Amino acid sequence: MNVNGRPEQFSAQPNELLVERLRDGLGLTGTKVGCDTGQCGSCVVQLDGRSVKSCLILTVSAAGSEVATIEGVTTPGGELNGLQEALRQEHGTQCGFCTPGMVMALGELVDNTAGGEAPTEPEIREWLTGNLCRCTGYHSVVRGVQRACAAARAEAPAGSTAVGQEV
Amino acid sequence: MTTVTGETALPGNGVLGQPLDSREDPQLLRGEATYVADIDLPGTAHMAILGSPVAHAKILSIETKAAEQLPGVLKVATAADFTDVMPLPCIWIPGGVESHFPPHPYGLPGARPVLTGDTVRHVGDPIAVVVAETPRQATAALAAIAVEYEPLPVVTRADEALAEGAPQLHEAVPGNLNAYWTCGDKDRTDAAIAEAEVTVELDLVNQRTINSPIEPRGAVGDYNAATGEYTLYASTQGPHNHRFLLSALVLGIPFNKLRVVAPTVGGSFGTKGYLYPDMALVLLLSKALGRPVKWVDTRTGLMNSTVQGRDHRQHVTLAGTRDGRITAVRCTSYANLGAYPSTIGPGVATALMGRSISGMYDIDAAFCEVYAAFTNTVSLGAQRGSGRAEAAFLMERLVDRYSSEIGMDPAAVRRKNLVPKEKFPYDNGLGWTYDSGNYQLNFDRALELSGYADMPARKAEARTRGKRLGVGLATYVAICGVGPSTRMSKEGMLGGTWESANIRVHPTGEVTVTVGSASTGQSHGTVFAQVAADELGIDPAQVQVYEGDTLKAPYGQGTYGSRSYSMAAPAVALTARKLKAKLVRAGAVFLGIPEDKVVYAGGKVYEEGNEENTKTFAELAMAMWYGWGLPPEIEPALDETTHFDPPDFNYPFGSHVAVVEIDELTGETEVVAYTAVDDAGNIGNPKVVLGQIEGSIVHGLGQALMEAAEYDENGLLVSSDLNHYALPRAADVPFFDLDKTVTPSPHNPLGAKGAGEIATVPPAAAVVNAVVDALSDLGVRHIDMPLTPEKVWRRLRGESQ
Repeated sequence: MNVNGRPEQFSAQPNELLVERLRDGLGLTGTKVGCDTGQCGSCVVQLDGRSVKSCLILTVSAAGSEVATIEGVTTPGGELNGLQEALRQEHGTQCGFCTPGMVMALGELVDNTAGGEAPTEPEIREWLTGNLCRCTGYHSVVRGVQRACAAARAEAPAGSTAVGQEV
Repeated sequence: MTTVTGETALPGNGVLGQPLDSREDPQLLRGEATYVADIDLPGTAHMAILGSPVAHAKILSIETKAAEQLPGVLKVATAADFTDVMPLPCIWIPGGVESHFPPHPYGLPGARPVLTGDTVRHVGDPIAVVVAETPRQATAALAAIAVEYEPLPVVTRADEALAEGAPQLHEAVPGNLNAYWTCGDKDRTDAAIAEAEVTVELDLVNQRTINSPIEPRGAVGDYNAATGEYTLYASTQGPHNHRFLLSALVLGIPFNKLRVVAPTVGGSFGTKGYLYPDMALVLLLSKALGRPVKWVDTRTGLMNSTVQGRDHRQHVTLAGTRDGRITAVRCTSYANLGAYPSTIGPGVATALMGRSISGMYDIDAAFCEVYAAFTNTVSLGAQRGSGRAEAAFLMERLVDRYSSEIGMDPAAVRRKNLVPKEKFPYDNGLGWTYDSGNYQLNFDRALELSGYADMPARKAEARTRGKRLGVGLATYVAICGVGPSTRMSKEGMLGGTWESANIRVHPTGEVTVTVGSASTGQSHGTVFAQVAADELGIDPAQVQVYEGDTLKAPYGQGTYGSRSYSMAAPAVALTARKLKAKLVRAGAVFLGIPEDKVVYAGGKVYEEGNEENTKTFAELAMAMWYGWGLPPEIEPALDETTHFDPPDFNYPFGSHVAVVEIDELTGETEVVAYTAVDDAGNIGNPKVVLGQIEGSIVHGLGQALMEAAEYDENGLLVSSDLNHYALPRAADVPFFDLDKTVTPSPHNPLGAKGAGEIATVPPAAAVVNAVVDALSDLGVRHIDMPLTPEKVWRRLRGESQ
């Protein structure tokens, strides 16, 4: 598989979970394990561009896929992407354990808005239902997504619809 | 819309009180922070724990040979391997109580062994451990350990555990009663209730809940045979406290040979301040094997081993006059301590709860008694808002019940009984003396912001949509700033509860602050830098904060009970003041003027009336490092420490308003609006506090609507993963309407009060009050939490509870 754009070759046991390969095999510990049952969303990564819970995916079933983890979003200590920057401005993270999973899950939503409609607040909340956070109560995360979507739309090429709701 | 308004009046350069961005956030957003599961020391072996599958049984035999022979297995250990290890102690036994438990060798009430050898007392009770080369090998070997059990009868409720003929958990504790505890004036309260014009009573279940930090706990033990030093990396709220407990009270190793490090910790909300067997086991096994030993919990493991919260069954009574004056409140509570007293669980279930029951009200007579019992469940501990949430729940339910009984608006009843501003400091008759407050202002703001006056019209409108709208009020006072050590000793706390801070100014003018507390996501690095920078008049970017490592930081109990900003931050401020005082003395030497002519301002010293004669902070730092020309009474260097032990606690408070809509067809309760006006005194960083307030409210809504630790009749925790234990998700809550009032505390130099968990205290009461309001015309007077759609649906159809 390709992980963060880099080819990785290995053999895996049939029962190995993708999250184990990423964390233990490849040392990509930005992806977290919070619940083991697909409920908390801390382990979300992108598989061929779609966000998935890597504790529910067998490594072998991801063979040949493009996998993106939080480590692929930025360089160490480097610039934050639009969503991360918006979450930073809204303090959309506290203990940070659920945060990489949220960034990976919400990235798709923000990307989709660049040339389309801005998601409504209920849509953002619905999109977030796969990710549990016990610290923030989600408010700052939702505000962060709204901010990121507004920024994405402002930067979108001419012809896109105007910026939607004010944050 | 979410707004935070209000004024803070703080000294300094204006950095404090500003909503600076959290400097911790970028690292967290990039996934670069190191949590305990991410620690990978060379040569690490992996530990797995065998927890009991049954709630109560005698262990007849444990056979480990098969497990020992499995691939990768390095060691299988049972209680027999640790007979010289002392039990994990309970250090908060409420004052004045005869505590029934076998004593710890050091005279402390012993709590639980590191592994259970004879009798298991809850599902998950640790029996054996395996250490193997990989986590999977360790887990796989657990299944090969054969344990023979002789089942014993099970009890999971406190009131049932205290009944005649109940299953007995501990031989030394006849009747399962750990403690009977009281506060307040029983005779006066009983008399007031007997003479009252009106009395109302409720039977309440404050259900057991699971705190559920998203990061499960973990621990890495690393013994260095060459030096005899132990290092424990653990997901802890209080590394110093864990070091004290482990070295002095459990392992008997010298204090100065144990280092405890808290890496980034993924939330805690109370649960990670407790001492657990795994913390001792990784150290013992690292020494035995000569390798680092790592253990990371699973979610189900967490739910069956990490302390749980709340769990009171109560009979409560309120007395008052026909015109709305409350004259007495009384509570009899059966508190479920679980199978063993946790590190501070008994104190949470008694003092933290009982001394708060009268809330923001000026009541002449109050009394609370708590029967704290052992049962076959996971040990009880703190949970965000612990004790105070249970207290607010019972009082606020009673006030609504009373309002409805006398036919008066619940807002009017509350307003009539709030402690008046001129009565502070206010002795609540239950053991607390509230430091400061303006309750009327706070309460009125919540009514105004929520549009309370418009609710009748909104109710009528909702009915046209097939919805029943209800509005619920709840106020609270939360004791925070734990605590004054002497006062805590009277509460039965066995340990110093002060905090300390060190500030070291480097020759180049940069500043390092170290504190004893340890963040579990509260942006301490940002906020404590603000405190130091504000006092010293420098840029916060010059200040770096370290905490969470006992080798680097001065002592402190850690982060719990919303105490960091009113305990550790004042230590930072006082230390900065010591530095300033020294710089004034040294400045007189450097500037060649008398001390009373030296001005310290804006991070520099200068001569009064002659600002040309000046030295900048960086110049002073370098000059103090050289130490040239200093008289003998001024030591070189700028390095000071303060140990802060406040004169008393602080008491944040607030008023919340919940508006719910209940679907008549499905029984589903939706929180459609929520208003909170909290008062946490002077606030250091409003952005950080806003996040904690929002998160706290959602935590409280979780208890009201969906969270419950459910044990079946065999003592099996049915809700032992996140498929069966519901946590609030983003779509379950609306944006909140928030505001604050500011009443500084006189008990610390920042005027700070606790903030982190305070807004978890009232939401459960506010929401239940709102739902009962919505159903009141059906004759509904109370519904137990959680308010699941099925429960509400049944009440809509006239079924009783």
